[in-house]
Order: sequence, then C-alpha cells, then structure tokens
Amino acid sequence: MVTHHPDMRLLTEFASGSLPLAQSAAISVHLHFCSHCKRQVNALQDMGAEMFDTLQPADVDDSLLDNVLAHLDDEAPLTYASSAAIDESPVLVQRLMTGDYKDLKWSRINKALQIARLRTGDPEHEFALYHIKAGGSIPCHSHKGTELTLVLEGSFSDEEGVYHQGDFLMRDAEDVHTPTASRTADCICIGVLDAPIRFKPWNYRLLNPFLQLQAS
Amino acid sequence: MSELPPEDDPDMQAQQNVQPNIKVNAEGKRDDEWSQCLQVIANKRDRAAFARLFKHFAPLVKAFAMSGSPLAASHADELVQEVMLKVWQKADGYNPRKAAASTWIYTIARNCRTDMYRRLQKFDTPLAAEDIWVEQEEEEPFVAVQQRRNAARVREMLTQLPQEQAQILAKVYMEGKSHSEVAEDLELPLGTVKSRVRLAMQKLQIMTDQR
Repeated sequence: MVTHHPDMRLLTEFASGSLPLAQSAAISVHLHFCSHCKRQVNALQDMGAEMFDTLQPADVDDSLLDNVLAHLDDEAPLTYASSAAIDESPVLVQRLMTGDYKDLKWSRINKALQIARLRTGDPEHEFALYHIKAGGSIPCHSHKGTELTLVLEGSFSDEEGVYHQGDFLMRDAEDVHTPTASRTADCICIGVLDAPIRFKPWNYRLLNPFLQLQAS
Repeated sequence: MSELPPEDDPDMQAQQNVQPNIKVNAEGKRDDEWSQCLQVIANKRDRAAFARLFKHFAPLVKAFAMSGSPLAASHADELVQEVMLKVWQKADGYNPRKAAASTWIYTIARNCRTDMYRRLQKFDTPLAAEDIWVEQEEEEPFVAVQQRRNAARVREMLTQLPQEQAQILAKVYMEGKSHSEVAEDLELPLGTVKSRVRLAMQKLQIMTDQR
C-alpha cells in the first residue's frame, strides 16, 4: 500500500507537461504503483482538456488538411509504450535499462550502497538507481537542490518514516537524512537529483565525484 | 476526488433520466458528437469524418501550440499536422468510456508539444512523452463514470473562477509553464502562485485531499 505521494505542485506540473523529464519519469513510475495519484492526474488532465476546449481557435490554412490527408496512409511509426508490461518492473524503467538490474554499470560507493545512473537525456537532472544492501545505510548526506526518491523494491526508513514499494519522497536542500534499508531485504530506489549530493562525514568526501550531478 | 453527488441531486437525476451512461455537459451533446466521430474514424477509416474532426480540433491544437514556448510556437503548423496524424493513427485506441474526445486529443497535443520542444532543444533522450504519460487504465467502471461527471463539473466551474486564479491555470496548462516560471512572469512570490493554484483546485474540487 503506497502511503507517500508527490505533492500537488509536482502532479500539476506533471499533468500539464512542464515538469523536467527526469522528475516526470519518477512521477510516472509512482503512478505505476499508485491508483490514487493516477486518478488525481486524470482529473488534472481533464482540467487541461477543458481549457484546451475553450481556447480561442487559431486560423488553420486549408493546405494543412490536404497535407495531413495526403499522409493518412503512411505507416505509423512503431511505438513501444505500455506494450511490454510482461515483466513486473514499470515499463518506463525497462525502457531506460538495457537488460536486468545486474547488467547495469553500478558504481560502488561503500559496502552497502551502489549507484547506477540511467540516461534520460534530461540535461539538468540526474536519474539513478540506488541499491542499498539489507540493513545498510546511505551515508548521511545533504544536497543543494531537490531530491526525489521512489522505492522500486524492498523498503527503507529514515528519520521520518518507513517507505515501501511505490512510495514517493521529495527532499529539499535543507533536509539532512540517513536512509537505511530494511534488515530483511535489499532496497532499490530511483533517485532524481538536480544538484550534487554532499555527504557529511569527511571520509566520504573523496567519494563525492561519484555523486556529482552528471548531466547525461 | 470528491464524493458522488447525493442521490437526491436534481441535476444529476435529470441527466440520468435523459441519457443514462452518456456524459451530458453544459454544452449538450458536443463531446458525444466528437466521440462518435472518432469511433467512425477508427472503425470505418472514414476520411470525411476525419476532415470534420480536423476542422474542429486543428484550430484548437494550433492555438495550444501558439500559447506554448516561442520555440514550439514557431512550429505550430508542424505540430498541428503531427497531432492530427496521430489522431488518425491511434483512433482505434480511443475508448469513449474512459475519456471525452477532447480530453483524448488534448493529451495527444500535450505529448506532441512536449516531445517537439525537447526535440527542438536537441534533447537526446530514449524516452518519448508516451512513455512518461502512459495511458492510465481505469479498471473500475464506477470510477470512470465518476471521472466523466467530474469533467463536466470542472467545465462549469472553470468559468466561475476569479480572474487571478484562471490566469495562473491558463499559464500552467496552456503556456506549459512551471509554477516558478509563472511566478517570475507575473512578478508574484512562488508561494502566492502555489496557493492560488490550490484555491482553484479546491473550487474545482480536484485533489482536495492532496497535500
């Protein structure tokens, strides 16, 4: 049961199309798990549609219709969206990975934590998978911008709560926290960062290059 | 999401008496006409029906394109063609029980506009808008019906929003701006923009339970 959701601003910007790509991807994965937010997004889209419907129509040259009519028989480009839902993991995540979790290029941060970046093409945000070993923690850290987290598998907890599959969190720059995976299972999360993450203890400073924002 | 109107709601009863299971909104059967039109396009590959639909929706798609970023606006005609071609190609995926025709076409326009913007900015991405906005399946027919009633109510309420809220919603949806971009545009604090959106949503009875 999903209990942590994106806030209203995120859902509105998602539905209206202004949310950056990597953040939209994280919201999209949340919707895969959360029918509550799915309905909210549907309602928000309905609202966009009503506004669309009452726009002042613009002049469209007749040649445009002729042009489109002439192309109606062109073969439609192949689309893959929502067709490959055989596997359990969200389609979008499958699209971003080639193969399985184990085939990704994981960077080892410490005994408990590995990170694999996935390329979304978003120039301002990093989209990465975090694999936290059962019982392990992500070193205490803070960050400059916003950090979005979504639990894909397993669960983790921090100073403020416990988060299970599908749960969504947004942390601001001031928040300092130490996420810890449950003792019984490894945890895989999506993390979307818009600024470099900074670890607190001095001995992790050397590791920071791994966690610098990588505009992919 | 709000509760369904109570059973003694006279408006709702009147609607149900006239045409059960069909969305009837303030503008009568308009949505229905286009729903049927889309189904004729899907089933019969009817070009005349498509031309009719084009004449109604292409000017709206173009207006939508032109209210977006200047970069996308300068490609408005291209966007119109792309969207309308998609409508033809994907018509058999349209489900009138799930969405009004205008909602379905709006989401295609939004997707194409977003993709086009990223393309023009030379984003190199493996994701298309359709991967992000996966068409949301609604398993429960009850919810689908409720959703369509909500849409009818939203339409009516939109016209009654105070100007300062309507203006912000238009910027968010039609201009495709983030809350902070709207704040910058209107020289308002971000908090003011957020709270006006929230107020508008409350009036429209959308997301009243979201933080």
